[in-house]
Amino acid sequence: MSGATRFHAGIDVETVERIAEERNEPKWLRAKRLDALEALSDLDYPDVIQTPGRTWTNLADLDFEALVEPFDQTEEKDWVADDQATVVPFHEALNDADLEALVKEHFGSVVDPEENRLTALSTALFTTGTVIYVPSNVDAEDVKIRTTMNGTSLFNYTLVVTDQNASVTILERQDTGADAATEERYYSGIVEAAVGENAYVQYGSLQDFDQSTYNYTLKRGVTDTYATLNWIEGNIGSQLTKTGVSTLLEGESSETKIVGAFFGHEDQHFDLDSKVWHRAEHTTADLVTRGVIDDEARSVYEGVQDVGRDAWDTSSYQRENTLMLSDESEADASPKLIINNHDTEASHSATVGQIDQEDLFYMEGRAIPEQAAKNMLVEGFFVPVLEEVEVDELREDLEERIHERLH
Amino acid sequence: MSSEENLQETDTEARFEFKKEQHSAFQSEKGLTEETIRLISEDKDEPDWMLERRLRALKQYKKMPMPTDWPGQPDLSELDVEEIVPYIRPDVETRGGAENWEDLPDEIQDTFEKLGIPEAEREALSGVGAQYESEVVYQNMQERWEEKGVVFCNMDEAVQEHEELVKQHFMTKCVPASDNKFAALHGAVWSGGSFVYIPEDVTVEMPVQAYFRMNSEGMGQFEHTLIIAEEGSEVHYIEGCSAPKYGTHNLHSGGVEVFVKEDAHVQYSTVQNWSKNTFNLNTKRAIVEENGTMEWVSGSMGSKATMLYPCSILKGRGATDNHITIAFAGEGQDIDTGAKVYHNAPDTKSTIESKSISKDGGRTNYRGLVHIADGAEDSSTSVECDALMFDNESTSDTMPYMEINESKVDVAHEATVGKIGDEDVFYLQSRGLDDDDAKQMIVAGFIEPITEELPIEYAVELNRLIELEMEGSLG
Repeated sequence: MSGATRFHAGIDVETVERIAEERNEPKWLRAKRLDALEALSDLDYPDVIQTPGRTWTNLADLDFEALVEPFDQTEEKDWVADDQATVVPFHEALNDADLEALVKEHFGSVVDPEENRLTALSTALFTTGTVIYVPSNVDAEDVKIRTTMNGTSLFNYTLVVTDQNASVTILERQDTGADAATEERYYSGIVEAAVGENAYVQYGSLQDFDQSTYNYTLKRGVTDTYATLNWIEGNIGSQLTKTGVSTLLEGESSETKIVGAFFGHEDQHFDLDSKVWHRAEHTTADLVTRGVIDDEARSVYEGVQDVGRDAWDTSSYQRENTLMLSDESEADASPKLIINNHDTEASHSATVGQIDQEDLFYMEGRAIPEQAAKNMLVEGFFVPVLEEVEVDELREDLEERIHERLH
Repeated sequence: MSSEENLQETDTEARFEFKKEQHSAFQSEKGLTEETIRLISEDKDEPDWMLERRLRALKQYKKMPMPTDWPGQPDLSELDVEEIVPYIRPDVETRGGAENWEDLPDEIQDTFEKLGIPEAEREALSGVGAQYESEVVYQNMQERWEEKGVVFCNMDEAVQEHEELVKQHFMTKCVPASDNKFAALHGAVWSGGSFVYIPEDVTVEMPVQAYFRMNSEGMGQFEHTLIIAEEGSEVHYIEGCSAPKYGTHNLHSGGVEVFVKEDAHVQYSTVQNWSKNTFNLNTKRAIVEENGTMEWVSGSMGSKATMLYPCSILKGRGATDNHITIAFAGEGQDIDTGAKVYHNAPDTKSTIESKSISKDGGRTNYRGLVHIADGAEDSSTSVECDALMFDNESTSDTMPYMEINESKVDVAHEATVGKIGDEDVFYLQSRGLDDDDAKQMIVAGFIEPITEELPIEYAVELNRLIELEMEGSLG
């Protein structure tokens, strides 16, 4: 990097007004941005786990604001969808009266913009996003969104709304442009999903930024009666990722799956949390995460299954497995159960270990060279997670990225 | 009559709930000042270094904030340490403990008779210590162990008689006063407790027991237990605790330090039945050397709020830790307990087994930390937590933390939560048991892995306590 001082546009009212003005935003949105900005300094960073003498992810020491260039948010975005579902860039949606009403109704209703300092920052400064709306009884084809980040910082917002009996599978990919400078950059994404009665949403995501990116994302959905919301969370890239994926099971008999796969190497740091709140009767949750860490990479996993007082007849399961390929890597895990209703069947398990020596021995006995055998075992380790992915393209991409990382 | 039958026939509730008039020889003022600490130390005729440690701990206590930011921790807002009387010396002439129950004042003798301690001593124990308020009033050890060099005396006596050992081990390497706010408080006002020293290669075959009784309202009990098990030795130490219930709050903040040397084996068992106005905030820790084994067996039945996480530091290659804990939280109780294990050497092994039962609005939480340090190759840990919930007013939480810095390890954690199976109850009812009996039997089966680790007297005791907790409140 040159010694020249970089100019940072201030994170202030003027900047926020300019972003809103340039996009001709409605008053209500401008007000939300300004509220978030005002709250910023009073808010804390997202919660991270602390044990005696250790902080699992140190966010407070990272100067996120210094990485932010509000007017250097350039990106390329591709959308692929059929015409049954409405998939439009965020600011285009605001030009359509019906869609604007829809956005106004849901914006900030699932993820409170003032939940923490980074969500507030994201709300104040976002310049791009997507609105996905699937009307009643529509079975939409796969929706694909690709975001390629070229600037220093990017704040992205995604809203998914599905009406009764609708169904949609969404695949979101983030990566870094080939021409992007290699200096440190910051990506922040918020995803809100409102899944209607008996609707079905699978939201898959593959994060593959370059390793100078600091990444903060928060995805949260709320389910109506009989609704199903499944998340697939793939993390391959970035220097540091702090990501939260969560479902609020608000409708009776609704279900969720949170499936995670990550593969960290070099000095990458992944902090992932999966959370589910059971708030109605007969709800089901299944949280499955598998990850591999190599070199000096570090992974932090927190899983929370929270069963409310009124969530009768709850089923809630959680599994997390981490494979350590290197002695310098580090894996921290904390699967939590918070149970306030006794009519619950809940369990969780977590394991950390290395490649099974007997498996390796068996394969070497079949004349497979050691390295090849190890690679096969790692690829095999991800199979139970990959099987959950419904979009072939996402599964293939993930497989390919895992394969590349091993070779 | 065998002691088992005797214990079964005794009315357990009456045994714990009786109150005694308070007769004390010396009672400190409420609250904590340097003056109070100096008075306690002077009353005990302590060497200067101990007074200095107390004063330093007091300073640390004043500096440290109350723990309030743990996720889901018990509410400590009703605990006002300034209102607690830290030190009450019962009116006993023989300082350091009588060797015969008959030498004790009638009321104290009567207390322990009702608790069944002398009975248990005759039947099943190598030695017994009994603490009433802040001081140990009775201490006895069978001669054959004394002859082998085993020391079992009260902590205050150890400060005088085994000064070098105590000076070296007391709140230095294992539980320094700076560890947490209540360890600091303990370091400032500690009184009583046991000192156990087992020489090399000596196996104490029958358990050694200490019983702690708080009788006065609004007091704090801060006993300190220091166990040093030399190479190749073996001992099983049991502590029991109880207090009658009063309107104001009592505080129990004990400190336990265990040194398990090479190839030594220590089991530390606790059946805690503090009254439901007691805040039970303890620090218990063991340092385990090469091929040593530490076993923590804890039954937490009583108290208003408990925060207790017995810790093993596996320092030597091949060291082993076993934790078995059971928590039972009824109405108004918040039992936040678990385990901490640091794997700091290769080939170390830990197993943690936790069972919890919550009913009538009680809350149990398993909070545990397993840390595997870089270089602790071929270590393994397995954690199993099972929780049983009786009703919809209760809460059952599980919060494990795993920090793994070494790849050649085997780490597994599992937890389940569920209600009592209707089918199981139905099955037992079809065999002629009524609903209450069926549920009691299921609970007894649920906690059996724990009770079978305890000597029969304690196992019976634990089962009785659970029956008592469950009586009449099922439907």
